[in-house]
Amino acid sequence: MPDQMQPVRTLAPAGHRLDIEAVRVRYGQTLAVRDVTLNVAPGEILALLGPSGCGKTTLLRSIAGFIRPDQGRITVDGRAIDRLPPGQRGVGIVFQSYALFPHMSAAENVAYGLEARGRPKQEIVQRVEATLAAVRMSGFAARRPANLSGGQQQRVALARALVIEPSILLLDEPFAALDRSLRLDLQLEIKRIQRRFGVTCVLVTHDQDEAMSMADRMAVMNAGQVEQVGPPTELYDTPATAFVAGFVGTTNRLSGVVEAVMGEAHDIRLDVGGVMRVQSPRTFSRGARVLLCARPEQLTLTGGEAGFAAELRLSLPLGPSVIHDVVAGATELKLQQARHGAPPPPGPVRIGLLAGARPSLFPEGDTP
Amino acid sequence: MHRFSGGDKALALLIMALAALALLVLVGPVLVVLITSFTTSQALRFPPPGLTLRWYQELFDPVRSAQIHRAAGNSLLVATLTAIAATALATGAALAIARSRAGWARFAEGAFMAPLVLPGIAFGLAALMFFSWLHLPPSLWLLVAGHAMIAGPFALRTIGASAAGLDPALLESSAALGASPWRTFRRVVLPLIMPGVAAGAFLAFVSSLDNVPVSLFLSSAQTDMLPIRLWGMMETALDVRVAAASGVLVAVAFTLLLVMDRAVGLVRRMSA
Repeated sequence: MPDQMQPVRTLAPAGHRLDIEAVRVRYGQTLAVRDVTLNVAPGEILALLGPSGCGKTTLLRSIAGFIRPDQGRITVDGRAIDRLPPGQRGVGIVFQSYALFPHMSAAENVAYGLEARGRPKQEIVQRVEATLAAVRMSGFAARRPANLSGGQQQRVALARALVIEPSILLLDEPFAALDRSLRLDLQLEIKRIQRRFGVTCVLVTHDQDEAMSMADRMAVMNAGQVEQVGPPTELYDTPATAFVAGFVGTTNRLSGVVEAVMGEAHDIRLDVGGVMRVQSPRTFSRGARVLLCARPEQLTLTGGEAGFAAELRLSLPLGPSVIHDVVAGATELKLQQARHGAPPPPGPVRIGLLAGARPSLFPEGDTP
Repeated sequence: MHRFSGGDKALALLIMALAALALLVLVGPVLVVLITSFTTSQALRFPPPGLTLRWYQELFDPVRSAQIHRAAGNSLLVATLTAIAATALATGAALAIARSRAGWARFAEGAFMAPLVLPGIAFGLAALMFFSWLHLPPSLWLLVAGHAMIAGPFALRTIGASAAGLDPALLESSAALGASPWRTFRRVVLPLIMPGVAAGAFLAFVSSLDNVPVSLFLSSAQTDMLPIRLWGMMETALDVRVAAASGVLVAVAFTLLLVMDRAVGLVRRMSA
């Protein structure tokens, strides 16, 4: 089945643009994906991050063509691909299980897509060799998947997906089956290969560290909807919802009431005691119940009378920093600070906001 | 660790005794017929007064055993065609059932396995009445159709087990790489379920080869089948060639079983 859509190989491949417009997928009575709109720039890595069942995998499978959305459009470079079968979308996919054909060698696996496209034998041999070299698997061409390690299988799966020169590369939890110690190396490796091929990439993961290290932008999904899209640092520093604050990085959640408002400055009387002044672009009126989400490094153990009273239970020195495990009433908190000498002994402490820190404020009752 | 008590020992002895009895009942008759086939006597009698290869010579004599040879040829042809038909049908059914989680798939699986418990004699009679109602004259094709009905469940059992172990992501990978459904079947599905297919074909072949009840109703003078012919020889003359033919059948089946078990782990698949 020759395929005319594949672009001719170029030395500096230009990426392709992927647009997802108001896509909705319904499974029986439930909406798995609720009118999601996402735009992925050429050559970009977008991570779909969320807990299991949030709809990220369903969205990925819609792009791949294994699921037909009930509504919405999916386009590559402005050309609709929704009606095309998976093999004609110019989409490469690496599955969580890698899904290598167990009865074929690494080289035969990589050649499969080119053979399906009816390429001449000689071209197939050359391109398989070149792509295996690009993922540093040249020495393993004749091996069956059963005789490869998890990381090696993943590279072969990547080569198999890339050799057909897809416009879009889809990665479905690609590191979930690997040892933690291997992941960082392979994340760097995949990012390097992705840059070299210039391929636009959508990565599905439930692991925020993976999304942080791999992605140019992250889309945090919850209950079929995108809660926030942006660069990893932006999602960490200014989460749009309490869900994002909780899912991306660690967060301390403190409930309270707005006592005074002066422009962006809000004085919050916390339920655990004390008042904190927080700068928030989202303004609240006096008397509103709010949820204050502070990162561990935004809180600090204060001397004196500032902040609120708490009990220091445990301190874990981690080289240059120290983690404090603190409880205030029924609220458990984690603090991370630069370490100066030995950590303080357990006992009563006072906790305040680090000068210049900008924790986030959300209306209370905003998702979990 | 579990220690054997006196009761456990008694149970173990009982199980061993039952196993020995079963072995005796199953293997004993086969040995008796094998030994009898070498008898120097004119009649089927055990133990034989002396040993000779004479009956095997007669069995393979093209003139004197022409009828047996024609029946054997028919039986082999029907068994081969039955194996092909049953395997093809079972492969299609197994793949569809494995791919679907819907209720109808479970129902279809039960329906396809049903011939296993259908009394062969009732089915043979029903098939004969049905085909004559359709005004179809007896032929090898009708025998193949009847045998395939009986052999189908055997093939479905082993192929179904193979198909259920197929990772759906492999099929999706193949589709995403641009392969047509036919190419996916040929290059990915078939090679991976091949052991189950081969085992299923073998079981279908053997079940057709020694089928009596269906052949009894559907065969005619032109389409004489080996088991029917052997039975006829027993009734009329207690011909010792029947024992020799049994010896050949046992030897062929056993050799095939060994080959298949070596190639695809048949015994493991049958008990799966």
